Amino acid sequence: MQQLFDAAMFGSTLRIMTPILLAALGGALCSRVGLFNVGLEGLVLIGAFSAIVGNYLFGNVLMAVLFSIIIVMLFSALFAFISINLKANAIVVGISLNFLAAGLTTFALRAIFDVKGAYYDKDMVGLPKWDIPLIKDIPWVGTVLSGHSPLVYLGIIIVIALQFYLFKSVSGFRLRSVGENPIAAQSIGIKVRGIQYGAVLMCGVLCALAGAQLSLGQVTMFTEGMTAGRGFIALVATMLGQANPLGVMGSSVLFGFMEALSIRLQGFSLPTHFTMMLPYIVTLVAMFFFKDRTYAQDALKAGGSSR
Amino acid sequence: MNRVKETLRGLVQPLLAVLIGLLAGAVAILVVGGSVVDTYAEMWKGAFGNFYFFTNTLARATPIILAGLGVALAFRAGFFNMGAEGQMILGGLSAALTALYLPGPGWFVCIAAILAGIIAGGVWSLFAGWLDARFGMNLLITTLLLNYIATYFGGYMVSYPFKDRTGSAAMAQTPMIDQSIWLPKLFQGMGLHAGFIIAIAAAILIYWFTHKTVTGYEIRMLGSNPSFAAYGGVRRIRMMMLSMVISGGLAGLAGAGEVLGTQYRFLDGSLSSASYAWSGIMATLLARSHPLGTAVAAVLLAALQTGAMGMERNTDVPLEVGSVIQAVLTLFVSAQIGYSFLKRRKEKKSNAAAV
Repeated sequence: MQQLFDAAMFGSTLRIMTPILLAALGGALCSRVGLFNVGLEGLVLIGAFSAIVGNYLFGNVLMAVLFSIIIVMLFSALFAFISINLKANAIVVGISLNFLAAGLTTFALRAIFDVKGAYYDKDMVGLPKWDIPLIKDIPWVGTVLSGHSPLVYLGIIIVIALQFYLFKSVSGFRLRSVGENPIAAQSIGIKVRGIQYGAVLMCGVLCALAGAQLSLGQVTMFTEGMTAGRGFIALVATMLGQANPLGVMGSSVLFGFMEALSIRLQGFSLPTHFTMMLPYIVTLVAMFFFKDRTYAQDALKAGGSSR
Repeated sequence: MNRVKETLRGLVQPLLAVLIGLLAGAVAILVVGGSVVDTYAEMWKGAFGNFYFFTNTLARATPIILAGLGVALAFRAGFFNMGAEGQMILGGLSAALTALYLPGPGWFVCIAAILAGIIAGGVWSLFAGWLDARFGMNLLITTLLLNYIATYFGGYMVSYPFKDRTGSAAMAQTPMIDQSIWLPKLFQGMGLHAGFIIAIAAAILIYWFTHKTVTGYEIRMLGSNPSFAAYGGVRRIRMMMLSMVISGGLAGLAGAGEVLGTQYRFLDGSLSSASYAWSGIMATLLARSHPLGTAVAAVLLAALQTGAMGMERNTDVPLEVGSVIQAVLTLFVSAQIGYSFLKRRKEKKSNAAAV
């Protein structure tokens, strides 16, 4: 037990949580304006890939992240255009967007880097690791909290900022009203479409950051389909957190912890199949315990599944 | 006359999408510096160039048709069953294990193995439906999560308890199934097996079921207008369970067909790496859940895939062009771009989007 739950594992929980958290916050924004964004997985994948491409093109991590943000925003704008302007079913558009992301990234991997499966370059520099002064010297806490990529800290700041924005600011109130009742919102002069576009584009930015953390945060490489369902887990995190930034944070911590634990357990002569299955099983169990009726309503409105 | 007109109008959109898909493919080909005409010619040859390639395409289409039909049926009922992959894997695994360990004459074991595949897929799918109906857990998400669980479970089964330890290969796979149990090939020396006939029969059967039977009508009604269906006395939960079990059963059948007709064993990752299930979902989206249309779209997608392989053999263009074309095609059909655009021009501009 002592070996299992040491400080390093909680540190890796934070690190693993970040992509899920960032994408889930994006999902929360979309759901707050009444668009169920199943395309998170694809957006994060594109983010991860374009961050690597940006790094390759500019040789600069900051430029890489900016490049990734621009590219992912383009794709989220596509999602917004098709589901808002052309009134297509958002779920179907999201699913197709995932296909597009998978197809385009594998193709571009071949076209740009001329490799199959994965791209890795030992000279490429990933995101820096920040040591937080003072905190890094505290024994246990330092190992957990210090030495992460800036995006990990940014994720936590965004949670607080978003919580404040959504529930304490006028603009946030308007945004929420769009999701609650678009017609009523429109009748008091709120630009429904503008706000929906804004939310989806912001979701794109967050997914780009999530992708950058995946491909540049730890490993500095891109592998085909490296999101491996994290976008869908983020979707669950959005649901469990009831599209509430703090709640989303809580559920992301849970998933990050389970994944960190499953990686840890692999050292314990358990079949890796079961440890890798663990996060998905816990996600299912979590869904069972934290049901959110309002979200089910949203899904129903979007023509989705849950009754 | 009206019917012909309607069918033609229904065709405009997929054709437009195919055109846009090919256009996107052309851009991709130009980006990597290939010749568009030559590349597409090679692609066509790779898919339909001669009888061998043609049967190859049909063989690849077989699991896509079946998985796609399953998804189409659930879509028709208004449920997003994204779990075809997991259902297919469990179907394939059960079929392989039944074929390996059930005693009896070959034809009997073959049928039993197919049934085992259908049952395994159906039960896995039903489980997701039950979680939704009983506990309100979003079906779209549960089916996705169950995919990963099924994949790892299948991987475990063939890496540990049922691993083939006879050969020298270290691959995670079951032993080879006895030849008497294999699904017969349709032509000597070609990949196409009897599963294709089963798939076509299933497409016709599902068409008949959804369009000519009362239950099928109820399922379609449930998908197109749930309130009206409820008013008409359709029992939503029962229909949901029914459509999910058939849907998963078809995916399981797809997995069983691949195991009994092509690979003759369950090989870890072979069903998911070819992404038959996801192609099936694409086919469904392309055909807007029409069973016969799904079969046609599945053949089209399979042709794209085998064609892209042929193209890669003979040109410098990477075969991933095929997936770009597929994805763009699907995106544009799902967007119902032509249709909504025309409709929107007629109606007045409104600011509210989702109502």
